[in-house]
Order: sequence, then C-alpha cells, then structure tokens
Amino acid sequence: MDTANGSAAAAQNGQQQDASGFRLKFCTVCASNQNRSMEGHLRLSQANYPVISFGTGSLVRLPGPTITQPNVYKFNETSYDSIYRELDAKDARLYRANGLLNMLERNRHIKWGPERWQDWQVGMPRVKHEKDQGSVGMEAGVPDVVITCEERCWDAVIDDLLNRGAPLNRPVHVINIDIKDNHKDALTAGGAMVDLADALNKAAIEERAKVGASAFEAGGAASRASFDERVPEVLAEWQERWPDLPATWTLSWF
Amino acid sequence: MAADTTATSSSSSISVAEQLEQLNAARKLVLENAAYYDRIVKGVLPIIGPTAPVELRRWGAEFLAESLATPVLAMRDRENITVAVLDTLKGLLEGAGEDTIVLKASVAAAASAYPVALRWIIHNSYHTESWEQMSAIKSRILQIWDGAPSPVKLSCIKFAQRVVLAQTVSNGMEQKLANSPMTPKTKVFIKSLEKTTRMFLTHLLRRDPNNPMAGRIQQYVERLMRSRAEIFDEAGRKRALVDQAGAPAGDAKRQRMETGIPQISIPPLGPGPHTLAAVFTLTNNLGLQGFDAAQLPANLAAKISVRTLAALDQHVLDLAVGGIRDRLTSIYAAGAAAAAAAQPAVINAATAPLGVDEEDDDYEPDLTPAEDTEQILNKLDNAPPEEPIDHAVETAAAMALGPFRLPPPPALDPDIAAKLSQAAASRVFGPLAALKDGGALRKPKAGINRLAASSYDRDSWLTVITRLATRSTAGLEDIDDGNNGIKTEDSSALDRPRMSLGDAIREMLYTYILEDWRRRIEIAVAWLCEEWYNDQLTKRRGGGAPLHYEACALRLVDGCLNYITAQDKVLTRFLAEIPELSRPLLGKLKGLCADPTTVQLALTSLLYLVMMRPPVREIALDTVAEIWTEYEDARPLAAKYLVKWRPGFIESQTRGSASDAAPANAMAVAT
Repeated sequence: MDTANGSAAAAQNGQQQDASGFRLKFCTVCASNQNRSMEGHLRLSQANYPVISFGTGSLVRLPGPTITQPNVYKFNETSYDSIYRELDAKDARLYRANGLLNMLERNRHIKWGPERWQDWQVGMPRVKHEKDQGSVGMEAGVPDVVITCEERCWDAVIDDLLNRGAPLNRPVHVINIDIKDNHKDALTAGGAMVDLADALNKAAIEERAKVGASAFEAGGAASRASFDERVPEVLAEWQERWPDLPATWTLSWF
Repeated sequence: MAADTTATSSSSSISVAEQLEQLNAARKLVLENAAYYDRIVKGVLPIIGPTAPVELRRWGAEFLAESLATPVLAMRDRENITVAVLDTLKGLLEGAGEDTIVLKASVAAAASAYPVALRWIIHNSYHTESWEQMSAIKSRILQIWDGAPSPVKLSCIKFAQRVVLAQTVSNGMEQKLANSPMTPKTKVFIKSLEKTTRMFLTHLLRRDPNNPMAGRIQQYVERLMRSRAEIFDEAGRKRALVDQAGAPAGDAKRQRMETGIPQISIPPLGPGPHTLAAVFTLTNNLGLQGFDAAQLPANLAAKISVRTLAALDQHVLDLAVGGIRDRLTSIYAAGAAAAAAAQPAVINAATAPLGVDEEDDDYEPDLTPAEDTEQILNKLDNAPPEEPIDHAVETAAAMALGPFRLPPPPALDPDIAAKLSQAAASRVFGPLAALKDGGALRKPKAGINRLAASSYDRDSWLTVITRLATRSTAGLEDIDDGNNGIKTEDSSALDRPRMSLGDAIREMLYTYILEDWRRRIEIAVAWLCEEWYNDQLTKRRGGGAPLHYEACALRLVDGCLNYITAQDKVLTRFLAEIPELSRPLLGKLKGLCADPTTVQLALTSLLYLVMMRPPVREIALDTVAEIWTEYEDARPLAAKYLVKWRPGFIESQTRGSASDAAPANAMAVAT
C-alpha cells in the first residue's frame, strides 16, 4: 500500500503540474551551498517547485590541489561565475577532473552565488531574484519545508531558528537527509529530494482539498489529519523507499 | 491605487479565480514595495471577510499572517496595520466550522498581532475597542484550541507562547511550549523526536545557564543521549561483535599459548650471579632472550603490555609467577648459604647494570606469552613478605618490596578542625530554606502535650537546631572545666578561643534570626527557652559550667534594637515571652528612649511587663523610673505609668531634687 503510493508519487516526479497549482515551497541547505544543496535546488526547480538554497558553513570551501590548500570564498559576496573563472584559470585540468568546474558550471546557471543560511533574513521579499531557478512562488521568501543535507547542517539550522526566536510565528518543517558530499551521492539524493517533495506536495494538496466545514466537522480523525501532521508519516514512507539516506525531521518556527 | 481597484472590483461579480489573480498582483506589489502595505492590507479586508468564498478567505488569512509578520515594516506601520485588521481577523476566527487553513493562518496572524496590539494599547489606552477585539480573539483562540485539528493547534500553541512572552517581564526565562509528541513508530520518528527535544533543551541551557532547572535539563539531555545511543547503536554494537568475531585470530593465538605454556617448564636458574632480566626471562628461545625491548617505542610497549595483560590466562600467569618466585627463592637461598660477601655481588650484578635498563626489562618479556613482568612485579608487591624473610632475611629485605601503606593524613590542626565544624554547623541550616512552614493548621495543636520535632517541617527542624545548639555539648563543657590544668595549657597554646559546636550553631542561629528578626522572633523565643532550660539543668548539676541564656538574650535584644522602629510591636511580645528578664536586659530598652519615635514602644513594652508579668514588675518599674530620671523627652509618658503603678515616686523625686523645672513637669503629668 505504502510502496504503491510511494512509487506512484515517484513516477510523477514533479513533471506534471497539478490541477490545483499548489506548490510547497522548499529550501535546500548544505555546508557550502555548492554541491548537495545546489543539486537539490536544480532538481526541485526543474520539478516546478519554488526553491531557494543556502549553506551553513562559515565560508565556502572547495577542494584545492591538496587537502591543506582548499579554495575558500566568502558567502553572499562571491558568484559561482567568478569562482568558476578563478579555478579555470588556476588549473583547468585539475578542476575539470575533480568535477568542480562542472559543478560550478551547473551552479552559475541556477543562481548568482552561494548564500549563507545564518545571514538570510526569513521573510525578506526575494523579488530581486527573478533570474534564479525556482524563484517563481518564492517571492515572499518563506519556504514551507527546509531540507538539509547533513546532520551538522540540520543542527545549525535548528539552532539558528531557535536563536532567532521565531519572529514570523510560522511553522516550518526541517528535514535532514544524510548525503555524502560527493557528486555521485548528490545526484542520487537530488532524485530522492524530488521524490520527497512530490510526496509532501501530494499530501498538502489532499489536505487543501478538504474544504470548509463539511470535511472539518464530519471527518473522523483520519480525514482531519492535516498536512503538518502527515509530514513525519510521509517522510517515514519515503525512508522506506530510500533506506540509504537516513532522515530526521522536526517542526521548527520562522 | 491597486488596493482601491481590488476593493471596488470585489463588489462587482467577477469570478473567484479572477479575484485571486488580482489579489496576487496586489501581493506582488507590496512585496516589491513595502510602502503599499498599509493601503493594500486595508483594501483587501472587505474582500476576505468571513462572508467571502473559502478560497478568498484562505488567501486573505495567509496574506494577513504574512503581512503582520513581515520584517520589512517599521513598528509604527505594523501597529497601523495590526489595529486595522483586528476586526476582520476576529470575524475569520469566529466563523463556525471555519476551514482549517483559514483558521491556522488567522491564528498565526493573531500571534503576530498580539504583542503589537499590546504595545499599541499601552500607548493608546483611550482606544479600548482594539483591545477588546484582541481580547475577543484571544478568548476565541483559547476556545477552539482543544478541538482544533493539529495545524491549528500548532498555531494556537504559538499564539499562547506569544501571549506569555508579551506579558512576561523581559528578564524572565523564555517560556516555550513543547509541541505535542507523536507516537514514535520508526527510526525517523524516534530520532526526530530525540533530536528536536535535545536541540531545544540545549538551546534553553545555553540561553540561561544559571536557571534553577539547568541541572535537571542537563541530566535529561544526557539521559536522552544515552537512551538514543542504546536504541540506535545496534550498528555500533554489531561492529563490536564483529571485532570480537575478528578476534578469533587473537583467540587462536591465545589458545596456542595456553596449550603451549603448560609444556614450557620454567627451569630453575643455575648457580652464579644472574641479571634481573635473566630471573624474569621465561622463554627458551635464544633469539627472544637477546631481544632488547628498549628498542620498542614506549607507546607500542604499553599497548602490548595492556593487550597481553587483558588476554593473559590466569593459570598461565599463576604458573609464571610461581616459577619466578621459585627462582627468586632459590637465589635467596643460595645467597644466604653463601658468605655475606656474596650478597653485594648478587645485588650488584642484579642492580648495577639494570638501574638504567629496568624499564626495558619490564617490556622485554611481553613478546613471550606468559611473562608479563608488570603483572608479576605487582604480584610480588602484593605478596606477603614473610616467605622470603623466612628464607633469607637480609636479602629478602633488600629485594622484596614491603607492603604499601598510604601515608597517614596530615594531623588536623585546631584551626582546620574549627573550620570544618563550622562548615558542619552551617550544613545544619541547609534544609531550612527548603522546608515548608508548618503552617497555621499545626499551631492550635501545640500545647503541653506537643511533641517537639515530630514532623519534618521548618518548626521541627528549628527545634532540632536549637536543641543541638543548647544541649549537644552541654556535658562536654563541664569536663573541660573540670580539667582545669589541661584547659589552661590548651588555651595558652592555641592562644585563641576555640568555638564549640554549640557555639558555632548559636552563632549561626543568631545570624539566621537577625536576617529577618521580625518574622523569626518566635524562633528567638524558642531558642531562649531552650537556653534557659539548659542553664537550669547546668545549675542543678553544678560544676560551674558556662551559662548561656543571659548572654544570648542580651545579644539578641542588642541585635534587634539596632533595627527597631516605632511599629515593631514584636518587641513587646518578645519581652513578654522569653523565660527570664534581668535588669541589664531591660536596661537595654532605655536606649530606645533616646529616640523620641521609639519612646512609646519601649514604655509600652515595660508597661505590659508590669501588668502581665508580676515577677518582673519591680525591675520593669525600676527601669521606667530610670527612664524618667535619665530621659527628659520620655518623662510625660513614663510619669503617667509611674503615677499609676508606683504612686509617690515622682513626688519623692521632685521633692528630692528640689529643682524648679521638675514641678512644672509634675504638673504637666498630673493633667
């Protein structure tokens, strides 16, 4: 039953636009806003979800020629394009071979540059980001679901949200998916994220379909089960489909 | 402008979808320019009211929630909008059987509105309507909370938190309400719940590390982590098992050793000098015998030692220890048999070259199965020395290590002892803070048949303390006094008075009472009663032991008088209730008459004694008389009492003094 549901959701894979046109708004988060969160950003935006992405690290860190010589950049001030050009000039062969240039090439077509989660003010209108992929629907700058790609990032996000003191009084689901920081795993996880987004969105649409008093009054516990309540269930079902990507969930506040 | 057009268009009959489109356009406008917020929010209010179609209500409620929460607005603009939307918000919330999404967003909007509205009404208290609306919203939210579906409940919780926060003094600990937990079915659930709780608690801890709950939170977090480890580290445990399963290699090794060892006999050493290394070498392998363990790095050697010790079979160890012991015994025997001159040779041979290499020897045998030198040495350390001594006393004494004794603790010097007993005394007062007041209920029961300290409340504990102060060392002080010679010697040696436990507690009791003497006067009375009783016993016993009642009473009165004001009637009560009054004690009251405000208190207290305590009537009247004599200001009142209770006194005084001023006074008094 569950798996049937799941595969159906997976089959949709966000390619089709639902009749109601309702789309959950997503936010992907990894350490440097380069690999995992950007893969998620790309895939979710391709599936027509409003999406933004961030990194929780103190700086953008990319591998360098040796382990002790990483390439380090500042968040919010460096564009993917400039990083691309710098690395291309430094050692095109090396950075082509380790996939960095391909990654940056992808990223610079998604948005301008890596953004830091902690510096982002939730609810600041993002009308200046029209060219970003996944910007449509994200104008108000408040996502419904945050997907982090590593437990450390999840911790940082929750911590940060607690520190902010929830000025918007708005609940947000924060889900962690443990993804190894390499291109292959990021690619796989991107698909998994879209699968999760589809399942969540389906649940949200179902909940929204229960309009008005009739459903509210007449329904048993099941029909009153709401989207917020169903998120952990949906995630648990998703986990069964993606057992290699251990997940965690919490409800936090913006 | 946009707002106006939307507002007007709503009245005409256009489809909901078209309206939504227009509304979205309006929303985009405010997102782009916050200046439009005021007009657009106010403009859409008629469209999204409680009578509008559900789609519009949903859109409206969400738009209101978004607008009231937006960070781009300044407080003033926010107040404007908030006050304007309250009525609509109230309408949305009061719709019977309202749609969940509308409710959720409306409650969220109300949560944002509440602190702003509260702030606003503080500055505009004349405008009560807004506050009434906000109050109505609050009541409505509290009303729907219980029956609401989860998303609405979540918003309600947030709303309640906002209310609490808004109305809490800013310094107070932020009160957060945990979300209602759901039954953990899967790993995801458990992990999510655990992590959420842990993050939340650590956050609280970090925010207010000195909170009284901090210790418990810390404990809880640790317990949470442990239980999580228990639930999830099955993998870890499996790995441990795998490690052990991987250990068969080690096991095989160990087995080989075990089977090998019994066959390896430990040959007794031949005659002649042997190095210590030779004594402890058990292997027959020449190559291994020649191996210099000093080549091994210390950490590796340590690792090997530990592993060997852990894996060593007890039987093997016993065998090895026995073997070495035999060797040593035979050496001692040989040494004893040889002339005394031979001894240094043995010892020299053993120690001289090894003084440096000893450590190496410790490690050398590690490579061979049974010889764990450290273990053996330990065994030897612990072995009773009798055996070698029996065989060869001197050598044994030279070779064997005596049993280890802990150095005796440093002698307790009187200062430290005094300090410690002080600390002990202060601990006696520890429970007071936590203990409950016995309460008024208990008081009527108190009477002659009362059992002191029969329950664990503050009164009982105080009884225990007072008795500890008065009686615990009562007998001991006598003895001290009896041995006069020792005492003088002691005190001269120490050259400072030593405080007994009783005195230490008395001291603290005094401090405790003075901390809040107006309310603790009863304790003072109880204490003095105990002192008095104890003094009576001491007197009866004789022996000139020190008496405490008078000193304590004087000190307490002195202490209280420092802080006394005209309203402190407790003084009267205190003087009436303590078991014995003396002239010096009442004499303290005279000091009060120096201050005109407390004259009445002092004299009233004395009058009360005159009237209600006949045994002390005379001293009390004497005191009044002294006051009359000494304090000009207190004369009128003192004279009044004296006229009544000691007629003729003033006349005798005035006649005696034969002054010119006194008659005037007497006249004044007579009136």
